[in-house]
Amino acid sequence: MEAMKVTVKIIGPFIYEAGFSEKELEFQKPVKAGELPAYVNIPESRAKIITRNGRAVSPQEELKDGDRIVICPIYSGG
Amino acid sequence: MPMNGWTGNWLRINLTTGIVKKESFTEEFAQTWIGGRGFALKILWDELKPGIDALGPENKLVVAVGPIAGIPAPNTGKTVVAAKSPLTGGYGDGNLGTRVTVELRKAGYDALIIEGKAASPVYLNIHDDRVEILPAGEIWGKGTYETMDWLYKKYGKAAGILTIGQGGENKVLYAVIRSMEGRAGGRPGIGAVMGSKNLKAIVVKGSHEIPVADPPGMKKLGAEDLRKVGDIDKKTRWSVQGTTGVLSWCNEVAALPVRNMRKTFHPDAWKIDGERLNNARVATYGCPNCTMRCGIAIHDHEGHESELDYENIGMLGSNLEIFDLPQVASLNYLCDDFGLDTISAGGVLGFYADAIDRGAIEGNFKFGDAERAKELLRLTAYRKGVGDLLAQGSRLMAQKIGRGSLDYAIQVKGLECSAYNCKFIPGMALAFGTSPIGAHHKESWVIMFEITQTSRDSYGPEKAQKVIELQRIRGGIFEFIVSCRFPWIELGWDLQHYADYFNKITGLNWTLNDLLKVGDRLYALMKLFWLREFPDWDRKMDYPPPVWFDPANADKAGPIAGKVLEREKYEKMLDSFYELRGWDKRGIPTRKTALELGLGKEAAEVEKTAPLE
Repeated sequence: MEAMKVTVKIIGPFIYEAGFSEKELEFQKPVKAGELPAYVNIPESRAKIITRNGRAVSPQEELKDGDRIVICPIYSGG
Repeated sequence: MPMNGWTGNWLRINLTTGIVKKESFTEEFAQTWIGGRGFALKILWDELKPGIDALGPENKLVVAVGPIAGIPAPNTGKTVVAAKSPLTGGYGDGNLGTRVTVELRKAGYDALIIEGKAASPVYLNIHDDRVEILPAGEIWGKGTYETMDWLYKKYGKAAGILTIGQGGENKVLYAVIRSMEGRAGGRPGIGAVMGSKNLKAIVVKGSHEIPVADPPGMKKLGAEDLRKVGDIDKKTRWSVQGTTGVLSWCNEVAALPVRNMRKTFHPDAWKIDGERLNNARVATYGCPNCTMRCGIAIHDHEGHESELDYENIGMLGSNLEIFDLPQVASLNYLCDDFGLDTISAGGVLGFYADAIDRGAIEGNFKFGDAERAKELLRLTAYRKGVGDLLAQGSRLMAQKIGRGSLDYAIQVKGLECSAYNCKFIPGMALAFGTSPIGAHHKESWVIMFEITQTSRDSYGPEKAQKVIELQRIRGGIFEFIVSCRFPWIELGWDLQHYADYFNKITGLNWTLNDLLKVGDRLYALMKLFWLREFPDWDRKMDYPPPVWFDPANADKAGPIAGKVLEREKYEKMLDSFYELRGWDKRGIPTRKTALELGLGKEAAEVEKTAPLE
């Protein structure tokens, strides 16, 4: 496959696990949404939610070139 | 009469007559209403006549704690303040972290009932059985920070203190009650009710043990769990940004309040996000027994320490298009010092700028103008000039301004919406619509579930179901036991722990489900309270702001471009909500539901003026 570029936005304390808050990542193979946290050093044990382009995405869905993925811890409001 | 889990007493203070009475309540009362919101609601239901002026001496201010409140266990430092709301006309309450929680229980009370009106400004000094009503001439007219300092010098920093600022004194309809640096509670104008009684502050100190069924067991469990929750917080680093990570998330998913909620995201939002806030941090504050302190203080534009969380930044920052963090902190500091609710203040200023923009009213304020926003807050706190209009909240302002402006007053039942732009988030719009005190995020924050676990376009019953599930826990359990919800969701601390604490403290053997059912009783009685005040109640009172249904208000780009709420589908979702709750099509509990929840007497009373189905 051709290289796929995905922008990853990290929210809240996950920034300190990933070491960045926003970055463009390039992949040479298909990647599912649920696999992405491991690529950015966010442990599987941490509860998290993921959105793609501002909408819900299932962990099984494959990412597409140009996607903007947000990885966020669980919140209950301000 | 003391009973395990409750002191068995409340204190009734009549400010008109100066008479103070210690009164006991029964075990049955305690186990039916538990505490906090439950106590406050039942007391106000029993003692207020419908139709009274919320700012008149007939209204009562209730301060209530719950059986878990003040016990050393994770995040148990909260107190509920309640009254008939001058902003909404219905039941109003709020909670805040305060040392009063601990001290009131140690003084031997589970609640204060404050009646009447003092002839001149006073404050209360409660130390166990000694209760003094003292002149407040030296602190009346002062901000909350100066007032707290004055009281700290007199009574020590360990005293529990609740106070109002100039906003409450001048009866700004969204004035709050303040405590401990940045803590505030009572969004629907409970601070204005306190001000209407000429009551500036309440000081509480206690020296008794809080009654607990199993003292060594609870001490051990509480200490262990405080350590465990603290360890989870340290490991996950939740407190590093506290609640403010929510801002970046809302911006990413098109839910941020921007420009009186006309827009849902902004490219400059990063300038006021949790990362920037943490980098500017000068101090951290929390409530008693807190293991995950969320109050992040920075220096504001003028150099004051100002404690921020997401709601403040969302409503006083992005909603006003002010993307300068020290300036947002200045607005927050002024609100805190004047004792104004930051959410409603941001909603009111946003509405005012929008109304000027649209030519509905002439005025001098534009989005992004932080200096003018500060001036407007000062005018509001003293009700001077245009501040007298701004002091009334966006619904009353819109009714006065006219020209269709009520459509874009971002409020439900008169209470301004918290910092979530729901123009295309149907479930969260339902949560705002059905919140029992007006639009408030504390009842059912369904937004994250909705956006990540469901289709945003859906109006299905699963959303109504989830709104209710969260109401039962957040607006139910956490409001009546009384405790902070953060360990539960943010750190995954199982809800069962709270049932365990409840049982260890009270000696009862209740299940989580038993506690949830109390929440249902409270939601039904809160609705009956509204019905008693508004016998011609209509389901329209449970609608979110009309502008969220307006196609002309849809985003032009981004994740929800072209989308707004759909009226017919919202109505169906509202029907599902009512059906699941056992309420009729007006949104009122049926007679059968009221009876099942043990509200037969209350239902019979309300039926004198408004029949139930």
